Amino acid sequence: MRTIIFATAIRYLTPLFLIFSLYILLRGHNHPGGGFIGGLIGSIAFVFHVLAHGSDRTVNAYFRVKLYSKGKPDDDTPPEHMWRLLSANTWNRLPNYPQPEWRYHIVRLRPAYVMAIGLFLAASSGLLGLFQGMPFMTSWWMEAEIPIIGALGTPLLFDAGVYLLVLGMVLKMIFTMSKE
Amino acid sequence: MLYSLLSGILLAALAPQLQRVLGRYLVVPMVALPLLLFIYYCFFVPEVLQGQAVVQTYTWVPELGINLQFRLDGLSLLFALLISFFGILVMLYASAYLEGDPLLGRFYLYLTLFMVAMLGVVTSDNIFGLFVFWELTSISSYLLIGYKQVDKEARVAAWQALLVTGLGGVALMAGLLLLAMATGSYTFSGMLGQQEVVLQHTFYLPAVLLILLACFTKSAQFPFHFWLPNAMAAPTPVSAYLHSATMVKAGIFLLARLTPILSGSEFWHLSLMLAGGLTAIIGAILALQHNDLKAILAYTTISALGLLVTMLGIGSDYALKAMLVFLLSHALYKGTLFLVAGTIDHSAGTRDLTKLHYLGKQMKYSGTAATLASLSMAGVVPFLGFVGKEMLYEASLENYIMLGITLLTGTAFAAVGILMSYRIFWRRGEEKTQFDHHPDLRLYLPPLVLATGGLLLGLLVSVVPANLLQAAVRAVSGNPEMELKLALWHGFTPVLGLSLLTLLLGLLAYLFLPSLRNKVTAIHPLYRFGPNALYHKLFELFLHGSTTFILWLQNGHLRSYVMYIMIFFCGLLFFTLWRDTPGLDIQERIYQLHEVRLYELVIFFLVISALVFLMGTRSRLTSIVVMGLIGYSGALFYILFGAPDVAATQFLIETLTVVIFVLLMHKLPAFIYLSHQFRKYKFIAIAVLFGGLMTYVMLLVQQQAVDSELREYFGKASYVEAHGRNIVNVILVDFRGLDTLGEITVLAVAALGIFSLLRLNPEKGDKP
Repeated sequence: MRTIIFATAIRYLTPLFLIFSLYILLRGHNHPGGGFIGGLIGSIAFVFHVLAHGSDRTVNAYFRVKLYSKGKPDDDTPPEHMWRLLSANTWNRLPNYPQPEWRYHIVRLRPAYVMAIGLFLAASSGLLGLFQGMPFMTSWWMEAEIPIIGALGTPLLFDAGVYLLVLGMVLKMIFTMSKE
Repeated sequence: MLYSLLSGILLAALAPQLQRVLGRYLVVPMVALPLLLFIYYCFFVPEVLQGQAVVQTYTWVPELGINLQFRLDGLSLLFALLISFFGILVMLYASAYLEGDPLLGRFYLYLTLFMVAMLGVVTSDNIFGLFVFWELTSISSYLLIGYKQVDKEARVAAWQALLVTGLGGVALMAGLLLLAMATGSYTFSGMLGQQEVVLQHTFYLPAVLLILLACFTKSAQFPFHFWLPNAMAAPTPVSAYLHSATMVKAGIFLLARLTPILSGSEFWHLSLMLAGGLTAIIGAILALQHNDLKAILAYTTISALGLLVTMLGIGSDYALKAMLVFLLSHALYKGTLFLVAGTIDHSAGTRDLTKLHYLGKQMKYSGTAATLASLSMAGVVPFLGFVGKEMLYEASLENYIMLGITLLTGTAFAAVGILMSYRIFWRRGEEKTQFDHHPDLRLYLPPLVLATGGLLLGLLVSVVPANLLQAAVRAVSGNPEMELKLALWHGFTPVLGLSLLTLLLGLLAYLFLPSLRNKVTAIHPLYRFGPNALYHKLFELFLHGSTTFILWLQNGHLRSYVMYIMIFFCGLLFFTLWRDTPGLDIQERIYQLHEVRLYELVIFFLVISALVFLMGTRSRLTSIVVMGLIGYSGALFYILFGAPDVAATQFLIETLTVVIFVLLMHKLPAFIYLSHQFRKYKFIAIAVLFGGLMTYVMLLVQQQAVDSELREYFGKASYVEAHGRNIVNVILVDFRGLDTLGEITVLAVAALGIFSLLRLNPEKGDKP
């Protein structure tokens, strides 16, 4: 499976797939699509990435962030220091940081967390109605429409929860199976 | 009232975290909660004393009659005050008893949860609310008994308590539902005053049987009494709180609560008197055979519970009054004695009666508390126990059997009272027991408070408790006019003579206890046939039976599971078809074949040929690909019939399945035929049967075209009400959103199950 053409193509295709899956998620309310289908497409994007590159590299590329930090030098004010950290972690990322001074933390988003977040989103989308004194899962819509996304409302939040749950579940399955 | 309970649940949930923050000062918020609750309930006293019941309602699921309705009448208030007051003392006591325990936060979690549940039980008006809290008390009791989870004994006892009281809980739900069906009301307030209706109803007998089962299991009545002594494996504060003062009285509470609704039939009175009387005798006899302080107290508790049930069974006005007075006095002295037993255990390291001598010198305050409580237990003059005992005698005077039972239990109580005070605290002569350490304030203050309470309430009996008990007895009897006059001294009556006789007999029993004990060892072999042994036999039988059954049913072969599901489904379909016998007009169906399009035929033959090929193939890769082909063909059908969402899902799922299979391909063992030829034919037969049946059902469904309003409704409402044009999706995420939420929850849970299975490595010896 790991031919160079496939691997290279997948590297560019995976983000495209992901964007497409988000598009499917958002259009679901008016056209064929929705959270479940979107989640499946998104997970297929990652499945192909795993097939082409192996699960470790997929995790590295999409689910792991290396964050750098260092102690505050005395001559920096706290906002300055925060700004410096922010820039070092985003637009001014270096491939190698000087070691004793900089510490790094690896933050990993595990598929199980994705599932949990999805379930939480879906369940909490119903709470909004509850707090307004209406039955659980009474939907609530924003008045204004946003271009591309369309109207926002709790059903969309619910759908996003479904999306994340499906995505997390397939990811977890793929990662577990490919590791054995 | 809801918020008072919710605050308790919140604090309970926070307890383990608070322990980390507060350390040994964790006790402060934990004691503050019952204290605040006690004060809160005190505010209701004037209102309730005037004969009004405080009712508060919060809607929950009004469509099903499930609401959080709270009702505070005299009976509820009496219990609520008892529970919260005991809560204060027990929380304080536990902090010293379990000092330094790393899991103290968890202990407080369980204990607070229990207290809240118990308050819920006594204040609930709605039967569903009552049931929820009732079960919560069982569960928290289970957790508390099994608190020392390293002990096998504690675990077994916890299981036993949970199973026995859980059985009662199920019966309770059924009984209360029957009662609700008979009266047409889901609240006790609504049921009140319908006694005549209930008594005449056909559901009366089953409802009473089920409710009695619930109350007898909870309140440890014969033959379900065996779990209570075993539950003494719990830490002593738990025994004092749950298994003498509060939880075991939940059954009594419910019986009292239902007395104005259910009493009046011969069956009710007789069964209560019989069960209560038997329990009282058995408890009294067994109490004198043990050396363990807690066991003795446990059996006297059983005996006292039996007496309470007997009084409810007699059911006369006087008996109900006696029941309430005795309940209060029993809670006070039994709580004290349990706490003192815990203090002794904590300080001396043993609860064995034969090893404890002359403790009074070293633990003066505990000794005083125990003596005061024992005097109350024995029924000596200025104590509340005396009033309770007098009233018990007076209530049972009419019936000689009842009188005998009361006398016997009174004798046992007096003997135990002497045992618990004189024998272990004050009797000189023998070498005194060595102490590990002396008890501190938190260990002797709570029992002292309780014991003094017993004395004070006895002295002030006509002033303080009388009003509250009057409100309670009005609630129990259902008669709002009933008067309750209490007096410490009744004059020289036959009852006083009986009281003195009891004390004398108690003293005699205490003196001849060693020789009596030797005599009764002769009946010990009988225990092999007792309820406890029976329980263990049944338990083993159940485990064995279910193991055998599960091994047969879940044998680890996927094909068997699929087969069972199909056969069961076929059975259900056959049953429905046989019951309804719908006719199928085949002529018309065949005529419809004219409408078949060419592309439908093409896909049809594609699927058929793929299936035939699939059965012959020996290569796994080929079969996966062909399976994918079949799936895609199915998706094509969906597209042709205008269901793009379903088709898209099907396409994606097929793709994923094939890809995952490919991923796992090299890990699967080589393809070999293991099945016997005969078995293959069996599977073919089942598959054909299932397929044929499904086809038949599909044809039937099509024939009886359903004229549904739903299609039109969703078509319209989808855009107007839910702002979406894709009806399928709108139904999924909005109209039936709760269903979807349930489905994705199932999906998540199933996924977690699958992953834990995938993680298993059977070759390394992991077991599921």
